[in-house]
Amino acid sequence: MNSPLARDVMFHLGPVAITETVVATWVIMALLVVGGYLATRRLQLLPSKQQAAFELIVVTVDAQITATMQVEPTPYRGLIGTLFVFIFVANWSTLVPGVEPPTAHIETDAALALLVFGAVIWFGVRAGGVGGYLATFASPSPIMIPLNFVESLTRTFSLLVRLFGNVMSGVFVIGIVLSLAGLLVPIPLMALDLLTGAVQAYIFAVLAMVFIAGGVAEAKPSSKISHERTTP
Amino acid sequence: MTIDWATLGLQTVNVLVLIWLLQRFFWRPLAQMIERRRQTAQMMLTEAEAKHAEAEAALTAIAATRAGFAAERDAILAAARTEAEHLRTAALATTAQEAATLQTEARAAIEREKSAIELAWAKRANLLAVEIAGRLAARLEGAAVRAAFLDFLCAEIKKMPEAARRAAAGAALEVISATKLDAGEEDHCRAAIGQAFGTGPVITFKQDPTLIAGLELHGPQLTLSNSWRADLARILAELGHE
Repeated sequence: MNSPLARDVMFHLGPVAITETVVATWVIMALLVVGGYLATRRLQLLPSKQQAAFELIVVTVDAQITATMQVEPTPYRGLIGTLFVFIFVANWSTLVPGVEPPTAHIETDAALALLVFGAVIWFGVRAGGVGGYLATFASPSPIMIPLNFVESLTRTFSLLVRLFGNVMSGVFVIGIVLSLAGLLVPIPLMALDLLTGAVQAYIFAVLAMVFIAGGVAEAKPSSKISHERTTP
Repeated sequence: MTIDWATLGLQTVNVLVLIWLLQRFFWRPLAQMIERRRQTAQMMLTEAEAKHAEAEAALTAIAATRAGFAAERDAILAAARTEAEHLRTAALATTAQEAATLQTEARAAIEREKSAIELAWAKRANLLAVEIAGRLAARLEGAAVRAAFLDFLCAEIKKMPEAARRAAAGAALEVISATKLDAGEEDHCRAAIGQAFGTGPVITFKQDPTLIAGLELHGPQLTLSNSWRADLARILAELGHE
């Protein structure tokens, strides 16, 4: 068994080493994009069962965004939904023999956390401008600026560590049990790992929504907030 | 444990690309379809509400129409009664007028018929009277009557204008009597007539029993009807004019 902490280079593109993690991510991306394209290729007003199932995913993501962020979900649907689906599929890719989840490697989790960090800044600036977003660091008083700055870094780091720790530990445990006990023994642990992977995808998406919503709400002028929240 | 920065960068780009691709091929089309379905459903609901409102309005209109049927029926019946009354009155008036006209015409016809009958009876009475008078006058024929008629004839001749009397005297004259005159009476007549004309015209004598009695003088330029027949004819004409 390879360690999830190890760096398995499959080939090189010039000076860049392409690892198994990147390749697995590309495969997952291809599956998701092709699947998404096939799913939406022939949409109809009267949906088939398959279309209804995909629409249910969209509606559920929208409902989660609306419930969590208290805003109209359209601008955030792509980011949040993709984060959830990608992490979910990546976590569950452990079902495929010989494949290690990309999220079991810290680079993938770091990339995801980095994107959330950037999304908080992006949506915060878009909601209140650069000044409005920077002003959120001085809330509730300027003395909180260092703490708020550190908080924005640590909560991003917590995202990274939480996802990485859970997935990586699951892979480790299954690998160790598999190497010690035999073929069928790790199955309950794998089921637990699947549950953990689904929960972690949900937690990651929810925390991303919370962080973005916090940045957006603080950066927005108060009148805008009240107006938006009173809109049905 | 170390972080492979190249992998971190690649994974960041990968996730960014995945976000863009899924947004392009999965999230947006499905969301648009959901929104389109929602709008369609909303439109159908709006149309259904509009049709429901139209149906409600139609039902209200039907109810109002039904409610108005009784009043409309009463109004129609009242109008029909009024119209019938007007027609009956007009028909009665027309009938009365026609009856009055017929009555007037009948009265006029009766009057005309009555007048015609009266006229016919008057004519018959006149004719009868003339005939009676003619028969009675026929019994008076005699020399004395002829002498009187001769005097009347001479008086008539003398009344004629001088020029006419001379012109008439220049032609042959014919004296017509009811009975044949004897020679003495003819001479007497010739003499009296000649005296009346002032000359001695040529006179012939002729008989005509229809004269009843009297002497008539006929010539190319004069006719003096001096007889009971002429008198009775004149009287009959005068009675007829009356």
